[in-house]
Amino acid sequence: MGSVKIEHLGKVFNGVTALEDVNLEIKEGEFFALLGPSGCGKTTTMRCIAGFETPTSGKIYIGDRDVSQIPANQRNCGMVFQSYALFPHLTVFENVAYSLNMRRFYQGGFGTKMAVLANLLNRRLGKVNREIEQKVRDALDFVELGQMADRLPTELSGGQQQRVALARALIMEPAVLLMDEPLSNLDKKLRNVMRVTIRQIQQKVGITTIFVTHDQEEAMSMADRVAVMNKGKLVQVDTPTALYSNPVSQFVADFVGSSNIFTGTVKDSNDGQTIIAINEQQVLRSAYPTGKKDVEVIIRPESIRLYTEDQPTTNDNILAGTVTMSTYLGPAVRYDVKVGDLQFEVDTTFEGGNPLLAPGVKVKLEIDPSRVVIL
Amino acid sequence: MSQIATNQQPVQTPKKAKKKRFTFEGFTLLKWLIYLFFFVFLLVPLFSILLVSFTGQPINIFGSFVSQKIFSSTLKKLSEMSWDAYAAIIQGKGYFAALVNSLELSTSVALLVTVMVLPIAYAFARTKMPLKGVFAALCTIPLICPTFISSYGFQLMFGKTGWVNHIYRSMGGDGVLFDVQSMLGIALVQIFFFFPYALWPMVAAFKISDVTLEEASQNLGAKSWYTFLRVTLPLAMPGIVSSMLLLFTVSFSDFGTPIILAPKDLNLIVVEAYREIAGFFNWSGSAVLTVIMLLVAAFFFWMQRLVVRGKEYGTISGKPSKQKLNDHKGALTVLTIYSGLVVLVPLLAAGSVFLSSIATTWGHHALPDGYTLAHYKTIFSTSYQNIVNSMILAAGALVLSVVVATFVSYFVVRRGSSGLDFVSSIPLIVPGIALGIAMIQTFNTAPLQLTGTALLLIIAYTIRRMPYMIRSTMGSMMAIRKDIEEAAVSLGASPLLAALTVIGPLMLPGIAAGAILVFVTVIKETSISILLAPTDWAPMSLAVFQNLLRGEYYTASAMAILIIVIVIILQAIAKKLAKDHLY
Repeated sequence: MGSVKIEHLGKVFNGVTALEDVNLEIKEGEFFALLGPSGCGKTTTMRCIAGFETPTSGKIYIGDRDVSQIPANQRNCGMVFQSYALFPHLTVFENVAYSLNMRRFYQGGFGTKMAVLANLLNRRLGKVNREIEQKVRDALDFVELGQMADRLPTELSGGQQQRVALARALIMEPAVLLMDEPLSNLDKKLRNVMRVTIRQIQQKVGITTIFVTHDQEEAMSMADRVAVMNKGKLVQVDTPTALYSNPVSQFVADFVGSSNIFTGTVKDSNDGQTIIAINEQQVLRSAYPTGKKDVEVIIRPESIRLYTEDQPTTNDNILAGTVTMSTYLGPAVRYDVKVGDLQFEVDTTFEGGNPLLAPGVKVKLEIDPSRVVIL
Repeated sequence: MSQIATNQQPVQTPKKAKKKRFTFEGFTLLKWLIYLFFFVFLLVPLFSILLVSFTGQPINIFGSFVSQKIFSSTLKKLSEMSWDAYAAIIQGKGYFAALVNSLELSTSVALLVTVMVLPIAYAFARTKMPLKGVFAALCTIPLICPTFISSYGFQLMFGKTGWVNHIYRSMGGDGVLFDVQSMLGIALVQIFFFFPYALWPMVAAFKISDVTLEEASQNLGAKSWYTFLRVTLPLAMPGIVSSMLLLFTVSFSDFGTPIILAPKDLNLIVVEAYREIAGFFNWSGSAVLTVIMLLVAAFFFWMQRLVVRGKEYGTISGKPSKQKLNDHKGALTVLTIYSGLVVLVPLLAAGSVFLSSIATTWGHHALPDGYTLAHYKTIFSTSYQNIVNSMILAAGALVLSVVVATFVSYFVVRRGSSGLDFVSSIPLIVPGIALGIAMIQTFNTAPLQLTGTALLLIIAYTIRRMPYMIRSTMGSMMAIRKDIEEAAVSLGASPLLAALTVIGPLMLPGIAAGAILVFVTVIKETSISILLAPTDWAPMSLAVFQNLLRGEYYTASAMAILIIVIVIILQAIAKKLAKDHLY
């Protein structure tokens, strides 16, 4: 019931293409991130799933149900908004109870309808339904806000508001949980805490979750799979580790972590490995085959090991260069190394005591062939 | 494994992009109902009065749709359309004199107020003038008093037996200071009761002007008066011009002052229109006057928009620069005395009305002969029905305004309906007397014979105040973020239910404040009440007017004071509500 399938989704706003042929399959219970720079279409995709935007073309399935023509209020998508969008005139309890009241309104007879409305307009008018009360209490306890039931949202901290929004979305037992930049309004420390909290809650409930973010760290640390989007198109859909080690394009490599990216000429490609000339003097070995002649080479800064000239290396896939700058980052040291006319970034762990290498020192860069990605 | 998103040609399914969604049909219906409301009660009356101004005979537009006979007679009338009435005006005959008089009045009021208010605005914005708070509070009096009461207050002061003239004669003067029943009298009332319309925009304009430019000028060696004339004033000019144009429109459409103070031989366009319709049932004449009124008001309104749009924020710089306030002793003394005198006049006029309301008789001396509360007793016994009428009519207009304005702002803010935005702001340019005449003409006969009913009165009040009500509801609508509404929908509420349970309660303070202001202006309303109210639905303002005509001055005063008190109380509540936005 909780899987999501998107087929050939397209959206055009006043002649501007926001989404183009997006195809996705999200498995039941999966924690799925939509990642990309602002304006890439990730939020539009989510709003199409929620039903707030009508796609120009394509179909959306939740479970087996084609929801493309179903209005937002009947899609059973829980949504956590970037601003949380808590109802400021209702207490925490009433916020969380809202969807249950709506359900009662639609299912009940005329009397129930009036009772629900009265209750929403003024809490003294209507009696709170026992069953709803119990459910809301449980939901609030679940997000550890049992004590806050009678407060107004404005009286809560950012993290608490976030958890209310989560409880409000989860209590309706939605088929899918949608989260739009859920952490962007929190400070850095709280963000790290909420990352874990959200992930834990999602695991406990086991609900299919789609969340939108522009922060690669957030996406990588929380999601089972990540879809990277750019200019209205899907670029790559993969697990975080695969995304990091095998980006399919320069854009993904650059967006997901920092990279050394440069062009090279293939000298030889056989036996499942490739020899690339990266400038006139030096060659590099990659563990991946290619059929192309001119390639893009991507090497992560932390996959390079740095040795001074007199130190022994462990393999022969080595480039020779000169340090041009060293930056101390606390746990790590970043070296800018000039190799021929190319500039490399190399991250090494700081081992204490050792003075940093000064600019001008000649070094050897040792690279594991399996971490040299070629496109 | 890496899956690369397939980048084939997208499978085009070119559905009609403008397919209306079924669920919003209830809303769409509502929208068309609101359009229908404005169409029937605003656009058709205005259009038909335009036709009448050419045909010279009443036209029954709604009748033409239901009856073949009326239709053919309408066609016949339309075939006899002529430019005669307008041609006469262009040739300087007919209503030309009234138009010229009105333009003269409004122009002089606009100019004189601007000159009069300029020093006060400067004092408020740029000096350390003492008593600013007191003066600001006194400046609300002119806005609270309906102009026909202010005019009556002026009569009590400057009339033949007015107390000012008693003092004037006791000091050796002869006769009266000036004849209050004249163009001068009308102009003075308007000047002293409309000046706040210009004051606050001008204060804002002076505050906005970039001080660094002034300092630069002084740095370059300019004297301070030179700096004021050549730098400060030109920078504040757009604000000043815009408030002048506003004043012109307000003065031009004012009905309360001329109806009390215009002598028989003074033709002003609003009075003339009223006399033609109420005295002679002259459709052709009143229609022509209505159309002219509308054109002039619309033109100046449009000019004002033009000025505001072009220049308003011309000199606002990003960083708020701290302004140096003028604290020259001599200048401050002069400004304080001057401002005090100006704001004192409306207070004295209102005070005169109050004194008259508790006087046994007044007119032989500067002060009343004795004091009594009998007039208040009288109005609560004999005019009790008028008070009730006012309350019912104002409440009716309030309910109707709230419903229409709330939905209009919803459609304008949330669904981008610029059509409704435009239609609902048309009443801004329609003077009350013009709206009244247009409505009487259109709803005079079957099938929609509403003239003389309380319903039409309520609708007229509602339409007249609609732009102001919408401004207030639209403000609170815009303050509600769109995602709050979407959250409700995602939690299972239909758009209508979301509007009812989330948006409605959140808008409530804004709606309530706007609604009270509608109530207040309806109680103050003169032109519509005098034109449209049937005898058994006469509201308080009409009762004051009729009492004045009958010479029952003391009861008129008591009723006027009652109106002012109600207005003050309700306005205070509205202000508090608008401020106490809970969220």
